[in-house]
Amino acid sequence: MTARETNPNFMNGVPELLILRLLQQEEMYGYEIVQAIRSRTDAVIAVGEGVVYPVLHGLERDGALKSRRKTVNGRSRIYYSVTAIGSHRLADLSETWTNLASAIQKMLAGGQHVEAIP
Amino acid sequence: MSKPFHELREHLLRAGVAPRHVRRYLTELADHLADLRAEEERAGRSRADAESAAFVRLGKMDDLAKAMIEQRQFQSWCARAPWAIFSLAPVLLLAVAWFVALFLLWSGWQIFLPGADTPFGSAVHGPIYRFENIYFQADKFYYFAAPILVGWGIALVAARQRVKAIWPVVGLVLVALMGAMNQVRASRTAVPDGFGHVRMDFAIGSSAPEIYFHLLHALILLTITALPYLIWRLQKAYSFSA
Repeated sequence: MTARETNPNFMNGVPELLILRLLQQEEMYGYEIVQAIRSRTDAVIAVGEGVVYPVLHGLERDGALKSRRKTVNGRSRIYYSVTAIGSHRLADLSETWTNLASAIQKMLAGGQHVEAIP
Repeated sequence: MSKPFHELREHLLRAGVAPRHVRRYLTELADHLADLRAEEERAGRSRADAESAAFVRLGKMDDLAKAMIEQRQFQSWCARAPWAIFSLAPVLLLAVAWFVALFLLWSGWQIFLPGADTPFGSAVHGPIYRFENIYFQADKFYYFAAPILVGWGIALVAARQRVKAIWPVVGLVLVALMGAMNQVRASRTAVPDGFGHVRMDFAIGSSAPEIYFHLLHALILLTITALPYLIWRLQKAYSFSA
């Protein structure tokens, strides 16, 4: 079995964006988040499973997420959900990535002039 | 704790990640690993295969460590400002502890020995278990124990956070010198109204015997405070080499 490859340069900010997007819909714990990212992106975007936690903790420390301990089926887990700050951050990140994706699409389609991304 | 997680914990602590963040990270990783193992077992793998597959999916220990270490916000204060934690904080803590000890001495003097010129050498009459005796002896014990307790505190923090030996040694030497060189003086006539005045001075001594005495005292304090830390480091080094 081989470890899944990730592309760190292009992945900067992506786990954050995906996590915020997922958690805006419902609260989840780490394992659920990783599985949801894998299934909803058809495994195109694969984050190292364990490295999701430093991202979660960083977002929580910034106030973008909040966590609570919940016991489900006899197991204690830490569930994360988005705060108001996290929603703003998600909106900003979404806008940036949408602009970036559209600019790259234009370039690939052969466009000559692309507006600067804020 | 499994060996890879044990090594990851040591790696993170040595890199300066705060222990509480390390603890939480490892707890969540262990939970995640258990979920992955269960998933692999449901997929028909044997327990041993499921375990190794789960570790592969979790990620390499170096990557897991790097992801946490790169987040500078999780660095402990011991890593960010060791000079403050191991030099400034112990000195301030010792100053506060001694202030409390001297305040208790002064209070006891006012309450139990109102006629005495100093609280030293004025025997409280009565049996040894009398409250006044216990009060002054307890204060004296607290006063002399303060540098030792602060020193053990330094050693505990340094051991817990796997700090390089240089900073705790600096802190322990500072505390030992402070503990050995201080002198308390009390006089009822030093201030008007005979209200009583307690003062602390720091001096290495003016004669050779005094200097030797203070240095010996400092050495004893340093030995008492540094010994548990030294034993812990030797034990750790031995367990790693074994």
